[in-house]
Amino acid sequence: VKKMTSTLKGITLKGSAELVAEFFSFGINSILYQRGIYPPETFTRVTHYDMSLQLTTDPKLKNYLTNVVSQLKEWLFECTVQKLVLVITCLETNEVLERWQFDIECDKSAKESSAPREKSIKTIQDEIRSVIRQITATVTFLPLLETPCAFDLLVYTDKDLVVPDKWEESGPQTIDQSEEVRLRSFTTSIHKVNSMVAYKKTESV
Amino acid sequence: MDLEDDTTILTTLKSFNSFISRPEHPQRLSEHSAGSGILQSQYKRSMELLEAAERVHSKNRYLQLDQEKKQMELSHKRARFELEKAASDSARDLEHEVDRNQELLTQIKKLEERAEEANKKITEQKEANDALQKNLEGLNKTLEERDDKLGTANQTISSLKDEIRELRQKIQNQDSKISAQTLENQELQEKLDLQQRKYQEVSQLCQSLQAAQSSCSDHIIKIKELERRLVFQEQDFAIVKTVKSEVARVPDLEKELKRLRDDNAYLRESRENCSLLKEEVEGLRKKLERMEKTKEELINIELEKERLTEKLHAWENLGQSTGLNIRSDTISKCVRLNHKEKYLNRHLYNLSNIVRSVERSQSELRAELTQQHSKTLEEQKKREAQDALVRRLQKRVLLLTKERDGMRAILESYDSELAPTEYSPQLSKRLREAEDILQKTQSHNAEMEAQLTKAQEETGTLKLQLQTAELELESLKKQQASATDSNSLLTKEEVTILRQKIEDLERERQRLEEQNNILEMRLERHNLQGDYDPVKTRVLHLKVNPTAIAKQERQQEVEALRQEVTRLRDLVRSLQSGGAVGHSQDDTHNPSFSLSLAPSKEVLDLRKQMESSELRNQRLKEVFQRKIQEFRTVCYVLTGYQIDITTENQYRLTSVYAEHMDDSLLFKKGSNGSMQLMETEFSKTLGEMVALHLHHQKSIPAFLSAVTLDLFSRQTTV
Repeated sequence: VKKMTSTLKGITLKGSAELVAEFFSFGINSILYQRGIYPPETFTRVTHYDMSLQLTTDPKLKNYLTNVVSQLKEWLFECTVQKLVLVITCLETNEVLERWQFDIECDKSAKESSAPREKSIKTIQDEIRSVIRQITATVTFLPLLETPCAFDLLVYTDKDLVVPDKWEESGPQTIDQSEEVRLRSFTTSIHKVNSMVAYKKTESV
Repeated sequence: MDLEDDTTILTTLKSFNSFISRPEHPQRLSEHSAGSGILQSQYKRSMELLEAAERVHSKNRYLQLDQEKKQMELSHKRARFELEKAASDSARDLEHEVDRNQELLTQIKKLEERAEEANKKITEQKEANDALQKNLEGLNKTLEERDDKLGTANQTISSLKDEIRELRQKIQNQDSKISAQTLENQELQEKLDLQQRKYQEVSQLCQSLQAAQSSCSDHIIKIKELERRLVFQEQDFAIVKTVKSEVARVPDLEKELKRLRDDNAYLRESRENCSLLKEEVEGLRKKLERMEKTKEELINIELEKERLTEKLHAWENLGQSTGLNIRSDTISKCVRLNHKEKYLNRHLYNLSNIVRSVERSQSELRAELTQQHSKTLEEQKKREAQDALVRRLQKRVLLLTKERDGMRAILESYDSELAPTEYSPQLSKRLREAEDILQKTQSHNAEMEAQLTKAQEETGTLKLQLQTAELELESLKKQQASATDSNSLLTKEEVTILRQKIEDLERERQRLEEQNNILEMRLERHNLQGDYDPVKTRVLHLKVNPTAIAKQERQQEVEALRQEVTRLRDLVRSLQSGGAVGHSQDDTHNPSFSLSLAPSKEVLDLRKQMESSELRNQRLKEVFQRKIQEFRTVCYVLTGYQIDITTENQYRLTSVYAEHMDDSLLFKKGSNGSMQLMETEFSKTLGEMVALHLHHQKSIPAFLSAVTLDLFSRQTTV
């Protein structure tokens, strides 16, 4: 159930931050399910954005995701976050195999003026639905992850931001010799999210 | 009057009655006291009273008669009145009736007239009636026709009604059917409900089944995991075995390693030596080349030397012939020439300095010229502007004078008109309006003039710029012209140099553009790959993240595995050193070896089994070999042929009595199993026997026995 304020009066900065954070929560869950990072029986089916999506039931993972997404919501509201990256690492070789990168462009003028923007929730949801569908479709051409893998979430923020507790600085964890594919983007008229995926080139025999 | 009489009569009667009753009362009272006197008085009284009563009664009669008479008279009068009234009334009635009679007569007349009219009408109506009757008859006919039609229609109606009845019956049937079907429907719906309930129950059962299946699948997954663990354990066991075998190979490998390392070192030294030798060779080659070059140079120099010596000789000869001291002359000449050169060089230098100074002064003068030109132009422009100002002012003056004249004329006209009539207010209004218009026009004028001046100034500046540019162009042209007179090549060279510079710059620009594009593409690619500018952005992640946790777990697993591996290696070493020794040393060694009791026993058993099976194999092999050998010797002895298998399906037979060692018969086994004799040198000598025994008799044993008999007969020794 969405908050009625954001549907009636247009999109505010706070509403936009919540929409984007919600998209990330569902998108990350979808990617973890599709790439098989966690076993499929630990996921349960829910309906959102007028489509059926998978959400994890693992309590530790849930806790981790809520921590990250809540902090991300704050940063979205302050317009200090530039990118969110989901990095998939192979545990045996410690190499980065896949990198799902979401660039966030924030319209800072929405911070000064508090007038809500005219964009219907339905169009935003349609755009988000097409992005998630495309993510599901990209799995067909991505190379199989045969070795056990773990994932990590990186956030690219402005340099002058105060680093909160429990967060630390890390490297960009880029892939050595990667292929990149640009995916669809969606915008709430205050935040624009561009999606792309980079994967390690498989050695052709 | 009568009434008063009546009342007097009544009152008298009452008093009489009262009187009568009174004495009765006192009579009763005084009955006993006075007897006779009272009786007489009473009798008198009663007699008087009787007389009075009679008198009264007669009066009454008289009054009554009077009254009656009066009444009679009254009644007579009344009767007369009434009769008169009745007479008048009857007269009136008569009159009324006479009138009525007359009216009735008139009415009768009218009625008679009406009757006549009515009769006429009746006749007319009868005629009309007749016509109507005819019409009626016609109508009746039509009616009859219509009745016929009606009859037919009625028939049709009846038929339709029959149909309707049938349809209604049908409808009723269908209604009954519908009702039956609705009943069926209801039954079916009830069945449906039952089925739905059953379906719900079934679905619930299904869900329970699915839950059970999921639990089953979970169990299956667990079973699979356990199986995997089993497999892992078996793999570990296999790994242990391989490790053992590898460990067995280790000393050999170490020896090989040492050998290889020595070879490697030797090869490296040899390679280094090779490289050194190559360098030396190259150096020597270069030296060779240089030497050859120097040789050539030497040769050339020697040739020149010879030439020069020849020249010298010639000069010396000359000198000797002429008898002059040429050397000193030449030396002095050289010295003089050198002096001249130096002088000329100084002169050149001075001249070049002068030229440069002259050029500088020329350029300065030109600059001054241009400045002066620009100043003259400015002053010309100023003069022109001032002339224009003057003209404008003159025009303004003219306009103003004209306005003034016009206003004066107007004023005069108004003044001339003012005298006869009074138009002052209108005049003043008009004056004010005119003044306003004037002011507006003047302001408009001033604006236009300001714009004009601006435009003129701009044109003046543009002209200035143009003229300065033209002057520069002219100066450049002059420079070019002057330069072409003196240094034509230089300018061309400068032009070519400038052109080349332009082309180079353009090429650089294109190159830089391409580089820019490439860099932008690289930037985009790096952005896609996740690069960032460390000055502006920072990458953060949670300290407690799944990858870190997974890595820690993996490290722990790896360490645990390493510990296990070291433990297993120690086990293997201990096993290799001596399983039996390990038994006795169990108490003294680490408790980890206590676990290895079981595997060591198994290993020993397996070893024993292996050894026993190997021994068995060896024995079997020996036995087989012995048996085969025995069999072959027996065959050789009994049949007289040694049968060897040369290649697959080819058998070589050599006879006991063979004359040469190489004499042998070759038989090949065909695909159908039959044996065929192959050509050998020995078989060529047995052509007859081949033909007889093989081709005719088709018997290989006969052939072989014939061959042995033949050889036996031939043999010379026993």
